[in-house]
Amino acid sequence: MLQGLSELAIQLTQFLTPRYIFDILWSTQLGIIVGMLPGLTATMGVALMTTLTYKFATDHAVLILICMYVGAIFGGSRTAILINIPGTPANAATTVDGNPLSKQGRAGEAMGIATTGSFLGSLFGMTMLAVFTPLLGNAALNFLSFEFFWLTIFGIIICGSLTAPKDPLKGWISGFFGLFVAMIGMEGMHAYRRFSFGNVDLAGGIELLPAMIGVFGFSEILMVMKQPAIKIVSNKIEKVIPYPREVLKYWGTIIRSGFIGTAIGAIPGVGEDIGAWVSYDFAKKTSKHPEEYGNGSIEGLMAAETGNNAAVAGAIIPVLSLAIPGSAPAAVLLGAMLIHGIRPGPLLMIENPEFVYQVVAMVLLATCAMFILGLLLIKAFVKILLIPRQRLMPVIFSLCIIGAYALSSRIFDIWIMAVFGIIGYGMKEMDYPVAPAVLGIILGDLLDQNLRRSLILSKGQIIPLFTRPISFFLVLLIFFTIVSRMRWFKLLWESVITKVKK
Amino acid sequence: MEPKRMDKADFVTSLFLSSLGLTVFVLSIRMPTFKELGANPYSAPGIVPAVLGIILFILGIVLLLRSISRKGYYIKVSFNGIISLFRRKSIRRLIIALFLSIAYVQLLGKMNYFLLNSFYILIFILAYELDFRQNIIKQKKKIIIALSEAFLIAGSIALVFQYIFLVRLP
Repeated sequence: MLQGLSELAIQLTQFLTPRYIFDILWSTQLGIIVGMLPGLTATMGVALMTTLTYKFATDHAVLILICMYVGAIFGGSRTAILINIPGTPANAATTVDGNPLSKQGRAGEAMGIATTGSFLGSLFGMTMLAVFTPLLGNAALNFLSFEFFWLTIFGIIICGSLTAPKDPLKGWISGFFGLFVAMIGMEGMHAYRRFSFGNVDLAGGIELLPAMIGVFGFSEILMVMKQPAIKIVSNKIEKVIPYPREVLKYWGTIIRSGFIGTAIGAIPGVGEDIGAWVSYDFAKKTSKHPEEYGNGSIEGLMAAETGNNAAVAGAIIPVLSLAIPGSAPAAVLLGAMLIHGIRPGPLLMIENPEFVYQVVAMVLLATCAMFILGLLLIKAFVKILLIPRQRLMPVIFSLCIIGAYALSSRIFDIWIMAVFGIIGYGMKEMDYPVAPAVLGIILGDLLDQNLRRSLILSKGQIIPLFTRPISFFLVLLIFFTIVSRMRWFKLLWESVITKVKK
Repeated sequence: MEPKRMDKADFVTSLFLSSLGLTVFVLSIRMPTFKELGANPYSAPGIVPAVLGIILFILGIVLLLRSISRKGYYIKVSFNGIISLFRRKSIRRLIIALFLSIAYVQLLGKMNYFLLNSFYILIFILAYELDFRQNIIKQKKKIIIALSEAFLIAGSIALVFQYIFLVRLP
């Protein structure tokens, strides 16, 4: 533990130079602006910055991306509170109590509490990141291809279940569709071009970043332009900085939401929005004043914002230890690390252990920058919300074009962005969650390699895929995740609970 | 989307998904195994896509059966229905954004990026801000402001990304 702390201190001091501090501040502020604006998501912000920081040094690029990520997840709380529209999906739970507080003339107080909750949640998540990444990485050293195969399937299933709670079938369809998309192009063992139909560009496969920018950027632009224009009434913002006693009153909620947010964030592909909602629900169920929830509960607001920002660091835990993203922005971060030559996964703690502590230091610095900027510059940057969408959306689309093009300089990637934007729009209209599809694209190659390797190792026998202890555990998890969403199982479970209670 | 319309949409998408799954499976089993080159048969490129094809097919069938049980197969397409769909303001807003964006992508690489970007931003703003029922000349102030904004923004984007981020522009 002491060695870890000293390593963290070393990495932290390396970032305390004027150049790095300047980059931390502007990228966190840009993240806050991205998060604030409906139509821009954290994923898109991180994806665009990935291509734009391609030529930067690795630590510089990853620092900017983490600052953008942390800032964007926090930034959405501004619009959630002021105009009842979450800037990012992660801030949906913030609207429930944030906007009522704003309507009561307590917008500044709400934003101060949201900022403090985000800060504390992020710090909590960062601590969990430092503790659990090495532990999970060490445990993953026991994983063979059998376990990695089931882990990818589990990631798709759990992501599909949690992102489409009312209709998990659509979540699973989305996930497996994403896995199929990852099969397009040259495969890794024999260099055979799958599903390219003679097209040279398709033979190169579907690049992750253009597809993500399309699904999260272009589709969002289409959704925003389809809706009628929102009339934004500027609210008076007065007292912002909360008193310490106001915050410490909810210490139990903060710690619980921090745990929940981090744990939910670490589940593959699930993300900050679920972290916020689950934290909020738990806070409401355990609150002494549940009747205040939905009417401007400070505790509810604190729980939501602590949960979503704790999920940011939580989502980075599986990125570093398993090379499996915990959320869509974390998926882009994973892609960025691979582009810059970092190999996340179980071997990271052996090959490049200082990188883990670098990332912890980056999260800490981004969190501090978010806290300072969030409290000091609220009134100034809220004016950005007054920009009409017909002026903002074409600019965002221009950035989508540059983002899709910058990495490989191919017009084909821009078309991929456009096509996936239309697909993403269609999916959203028909209630298919897009996160599992994106996770499928990311995990497709891992699934492909590991299933074939497993079959080679077992000489075509399927039994070893089920009988290895960790594999068996994962299979059981997958089975129960699927079965628990079926009506007959829910009825059976309820009847069992009723009988036990009697 | 309303539940009844969603059931119809699910019926159509389930047909597409099952067809896609079946097609993927058939194409996958036709892929070479490279056995003649001494490759391990379990490393064949078609194995994983074939499994995914079967899964997509099964999920498509489950969705199809569910939509049938909810009478999603009862789809009535009429000319008047299509006309009234396109008369909706939300659909028109969507089509404008989609058309302009796809046209922009189509013209990329065929003309100067700065000019193309400026025109795209200008036309996008005017498409939503101009009132075409009124005299356009009377709205020249809006046009001039939009023109200035478009050129300023397009110029800034080109300068920032080309010279600060050192990114190649299309």
